[in-house]
Amino acid sequence: MHCDFCGYEFDEEEGVQGCGNCPMSAGCKAVKCPRCNYEIPKEPLWMTKLKKWRRR
Amino acid sequence: MALFRKKSACHKPLADGSCSARKVLLVGNPNVGKSVLFNALTGAYVTVSNYPGTSVEVARGTATVSDERFEIIDTPGMYSLLPITEEERVARKILLDDSPDLVIHVIDARNLERMLAMTIQLLEAGLPVILVVNIIDEAERLGISINIPLLAAQLGIPVVGAAVTKKRGLAEIRRAIADFRRSDHRVPEYSRRLENDIAEIAGLLRNRSALSPKAVALLLLQRDQEIIDLVSKQEGEGFAAVEGKIREKIYARRESFHLDLSLERRKIAEKLLEGVLRAPDKRRKTFGERLSQWTVRPLTGVPLLLIVLYYGLYQFVGVFGAGTLVDLLEGTLFEEQFNPWISQIVNELLPWPVIQELFVGEFGVITLGLRYAIGIILPVVFTFFLFFSILEDSGYFPRLALLVDRLFKKIGLTGRAVIPMVLGFGCDTMATMVTRTLETVRERIIATLLLSLAIPCSAQLGVIMALLSQTPVALLVWFFCLLLIFLVVGVLAARVIPGETPMFYMELPPMRLPQLSNILTKTFSRMQWYFVEILPLFILASVLLWIGKMTYLFEKMSDWAAPLMAGIGLPREAAVAFIFGFFRRDYGAAGLYDLQTKGLLFARQITVAAVTLTLFIPCIAQFLVIKKERGTAVAVAIGLFVSALAFGSGYLLNKILLATGIL
Repeated sequence: MHCDFCGYEFDEEEGVQGCGNCPMSAGCKAVKCPRCNYEIPKEPLWMTKLKKWRRR
Repeated sequence: MALFRKKSACHKPLADGSCSARKVLLVGNPNVGKSVLFNALTGAYVTVSNYPGTSVEVARGTATVSDERFEIIDTPGMYSLLPITEEERVARKILLDDSPDLVIHVIDARNLERMLAMTIQLLEAGLPVILVVNIIDEAERLGISINIPLLAAQLGIPVVGAAVTKKRGLAEIRRAIADFRRSDHRVPEYSRRLENDIAEIAGLLRNRSALSPKAVALLLLQRDQEIIDLVSKQEGEGFAAVEGKIREKIYARRESFHLDLSLERRKIAEKLLEGVLRAPDKRRKTFGERLSQWTVRPLTGVPLLLIVLYYGLYQFVGVFGAGTLVDLLEGTLFEEQFNPWISQIVNELLPWPVIQELFVGEFGVITLGLRYAIGIILPVVFTFFLFFSILEDSGYFPRLALLVDRLFKKIGLTGRAVIPMVLGFGCDTMATMVTRTLETVRERIIATLLLSLAIPCSAQLGVIMALLSQTPVALLVWFFCLLLIFLVVGVLAARVIPGETPMFYMELPPMRLPQLSNILTKTFSRMQWYFVEILPLFILASVLLWIGKMTYLFEKMSDWAAPLMAGIGLPREAAVAFIFGFFRRDYGAAGLYDLQTKGLLFARQITVAAVTLTLFIPCIAQFLVIKKERGTAVAVAIGLFVSALAFGSGYLLNKILLATGIL
């Protein structure tokens, strides 16, 4: 993933770890940048599949 | 003290006679590829844990190089040995406490001159350093050529050129680790005056530490409080002389020491790079680079910000989203078509008036809850998140952080607080949580207070835009009232709450043309999250309001609030919107929208109501998060202060508008 605030590139899992203490993280579609904590929306599954399909 | 523990000469012997793994630390600026190198060296077997007493994560793993086992530690990004952020403090603590056998400094080949400043600091600290010049492929693509062997000769340490994401240079790095033997390397020299100052202080230090006396002296001259405290503890009575000498030197240089030191380090880096670096002749700046410069300079940045707000927020979200789209969905679709149709069906199916009221009554789940959620909030959040995603994808927000940094310092914050403030326009509850990333408790409290007070969430903002955009003067009054209260409360809070404002700096990612797929993905994700969150709450609120109506509790609450409403010049019915606002801020704003469409409010009253409701107590979710993050006392204090200030401001504004006759 790519942070839209500070430009940091990180794995989605690395970002999800930052959400552990958040009381509203259940069902939340955002991950936190491990460097600046900006919230970035996760790509929806259908969009990922659509992109894969287009690449093929 | 651990920080000043004397370093072990070599790795410790184990019970079986073998040696423990040698420790290798990866250090460097953020985003230079340390973690990629860490993963390449260690493979899958790593542990990630918070550094004791902090929320900063540190990854540790092992690597086998030439049959020898090494412990590899990936430190948080740091710009200098003088820490500013918590991450840097942790990185330095690891660097000093863990007695590394080897420090791999990873730098970005595209910014060699700037990044060598930290290499110089590591060398003068007497640490065993290997330099990895990473992202060399990108540098080459830009026409930059680096003579790695010459740089190694100039620095007197092993230097490897690499592009670790493409596995280039990994074998050389492994070889350099295996072959590394600690030896004296060259220590870069500053000007004679600075070297004399350093030598005078270093000469007074009696105890050896993990850092060289030269590095300790420099940190003392930079007033590094952690080092001052530790040296004071270590030197005991002898510290008085050290302290006297530091004061003398700092006084002689006044405020210019940091600047002098940076300039000297830059000169050393320039000299080291003579013959090493060949960059292409000055190239023409792209439009993106020029635009980037305009956005951060106050003279051009402020007008650009106003243009963005006018076209993005006012025209697109306010006029188009909250005006045209809401008229279409709420007015035409719900009020004219859907609500009469569904009311007829429900009334036919359910003969009991009380149950009819629950679904299609004044506060019905369908006629109010669903209408607010789909007819009013949906078009508003759609246009807002679309606008937000365009700005986000263009890279504008970090530039906004730099632009407002100076202003934010006056209210006890730094540009870093732009992150929660910007996110607050999406959802204040989430943004309150993000305040925990601010450096000091003082900043966190000020940012939490300002978020509760003067930052409307997206839906509330959109509906208020819809209410006020028909009278542009009302919108201007609302905007300047909020800005004034934001600044006055911020300045006062910064004075009342003790503490210093930390420094802020960040690397700017490049500005770029927003990508359509990114914008749509982000807008969709945010809307999905928002909608999933608000729809059940709107339905729940409708049920509660229905119970309130059936038990006449609601009527009584409106009666109790009537004098308060009268005080700010609003009719009794406006109390409903404020009661709605307790559930959700946007619900309250939608309540005002209803009152306006029924013709119960005119321009002055709408303006006063919009200002009061924006400032009014945070919604339940935000209040709970404030309680969780800042404690009950702070949450209650903020709640009471914000409510009193909201109605006080509403009262004053009403009087001013009546006296001046502006609206």
